[in-house]
Amino acid sequence: MATAAAAQPLVELRDIRKAFGGIHAVDGVSINLYAGEVVALLGHNGAGKSTLMKMLAGAYAVDSGDTLVGGAKVHIRTPAEAQALGIETIYQTLALADNLDAVSNLFLGREKLTRWRTLDDHFMEGQARKVFQRLNKNFTNIREPVRRLSGGQRQVVAISRALYFNARILIMDEPCAALGPEETAMVGGLVRQLKADGVGIFLITHDMPDVFALSDRLAVMKNGKLVGTYRTADVTEDEVLGMIIAGKRPEATAQAERAASSKTSAVMQRIP
Amino acid sequence: MSSEPALWRRAGVDLRLLLMCGLLVVMGVVFHALSGGVFLSPENLYNLAQQTAVVGIVSTVMVLVIVARHIDLSVGSVMGFVGVLIAYLMYTSGWTWPAACLAGLAVALVVSMYQGWLTAVLGVPSFVVTLGGLMSFRGAAFLVADGKTQPVNDEFFQRLGGGYDGGIGVAATWALTALVIAALFARMLQKRRGRQRHDMPTDPLWVDVLITVVPAVALVAFAWAMNHYQISSKTEAQGIPIPVLIWAVVAVVLSFLVHRTRFGRYVFAMGGNPDAAALVGIPVKRVTLMLFALLAVLVTVAAIVSIARLNAGTNSLGTGMELYVIAAAVIGGTALAGGSGSIFGSVLGALIMQSLDSGMLLLDVAIGKRMVIIGQVLIVAVVFDVLYRRRFGEK
Repeated sequence: MATAAAAQPLVELRDIRKAFGGIHAVDGVSINLYAGEVVALLGHNGAGKSTLMKMLAGAYAVDSGDTLVGGAKVHIRTPAEAQALGIETIYQTLALADNLDAVSNLFLGREKLTRWRTLDDHFMEGQARKVFQRLNKNFTNIREPVRRLSGGQRQVVAISRALYFNARILIMDEPCAALGPEETAMVGGLVRQLKADGVGIFLITHDMPDVFALSDRLAVMKNGKLVGTYRTADVTEDEVLGMIIAGKRPEATAQAERAASSKTSAVMQRIP
Repeated sequence: MSSEPALWRRAGVDLRLLLMCGLLVVMGVVFHALSGGVFLSPENLYNLAQQTAVVGIVSTVMVLVIVARHIDLSVGSVMGFVGVLIAYLMYTSGWTWPAACLAGLAVALVVSMYQGWLTAVLGVPSFVVTLGGLMSFRGAAFLVADGKTQPVNDEFFQRLGGGYDGGIGVAATWALTALVIAALFARMLQKRRGRQRHDMPTDPLWVDVLITVVPAVALVAFAWAMNHYQISSKTEAQGIPIPVLIWAVVAVVLSFLVHRTRFGRYVFAMGGNPDAAALVGIPVKRVTLMLFALLAVLVTVAAIVSIARLNAGTNSLGTGMELYVIAAAVIGGTALAGGSGSIFGSVLGALIMQSLDSGMLLLDVAIGKRMVIIGQVLIVAVVFDVLYRRRFGEK
């Protein structure tokens, strides 16, 4: 579907660097993301994937390198600026305030205000009910502090944040790490649906079945550097593991700067 | 009662606050009996309410400071500093009281911004910053007037501290009571209508009525007591003391900030999960600075009430007050780990502590014993808090 519109990448990260006190957490990484595409970001713990994504999400400042969103150069300094560009993040830790209820968490940082600059709780509760319903029919205790909720419900709250505010670009950091099989399937279904809606998704995960089931391309990082970016259909699980563990590129396969649209990818052969 | 087990919780009733109200009533009755009918007399209640006001005013904002995972140990010293300064400007420099108070507020804001900046921007723990402040500003309070006591003579100003002419009078007390009760009912109805308009479930009407009637009755009882305290040389009863009125206004305003504004929600979010607060885009530093500014405003208000009550500013004003302020917040259910607490709880906490102190005073309990007991009550409150949280599955 995204053939013509995808001429221009949604996100381009060019030669991004970030160091923490002499340690190069991210060392010259370039990667891009197209609308309606899922790019899996792989690597060991400490490979720099989360740091790279946190820079896109505005949680960390970029040391050097360019960020382009929709072809325009941007400087994302705070999470609020990232959100303004349509970049939403679902963190592994979920980033929920445990003492607040699900409604407050959904709107946290972006509360709907009344004319009098007070919180419009009725509006927010009504909207929250609708979003949560979409993801989990049984989720009704939305006025309980989220610490009393189950792992799946907490995940629903975190995902709803991205959904409600119409993410254009979605970063998912280990979205299924704490979930049971049913909820994992729900997240998978959601990823496909968002993809069909033209959302670009960065998916950080350790789970190979997720990678092969959900992603169009995959990028492997090791020690802060990018090992390579490939179309998921072009590589095997062993090759991916080889890249993650040893940093070894599969020899016969070309890297892919972009995925072909899903229809043609079966027909099109590897670009040399 | 209802078959719905979580009705009280759904209706927004905090069981802990309910227990504290009960405790306050029990304490009142017990002290009343032991003191031979003095404790619940209008005169004692008037003095009790008025004595609690200064600690109570600062406690309301201390709740928010602790909720946001900070602490301020310097409130007593800063209050002393600002109080002496205001008194000095009025007495020695001959300023009018509004000008002196504004100058005091400005100085309090500067002090607070300095401490807040160290805490929020540089990331120095507020415990350390304000521990330094505790000493420095006590010293500053001495330096302002070279240790000399500054009398406060302005009659209007003195009324702000309660005392002889410090009540609002009988008619105003009843009028105010009626007004507040009307507001309570109006708010209840508005809340119900709002929920119905948005197709959200409402509690049964009797629950809402009960929740509104109980505080209304307590308010009438308080107003009645205040209207039956008459100083023998005066022709009219006192009515609600002005410091208590100020405290009530402060508590209502802060409750409003907590429940109805972004600021309040952000303070709680920062206390519940500081990392998450930053990741979702809450301007953590700015909110922390705003919190310290609010603290400065209320410390100034407390300083004004305090020097008006004592008719003087002395360099020892507010010595040790930080401990009472923090204790009132903690007894009122504020968790030192941050993220939970309530303004109304701090009001109850301050009242419980002052009732205990003044009740024991009436019974001629020696100062040493009183201190031992109040200290242990603080610990009991925290133990209860820990057990309560464990019971109800809070961290």
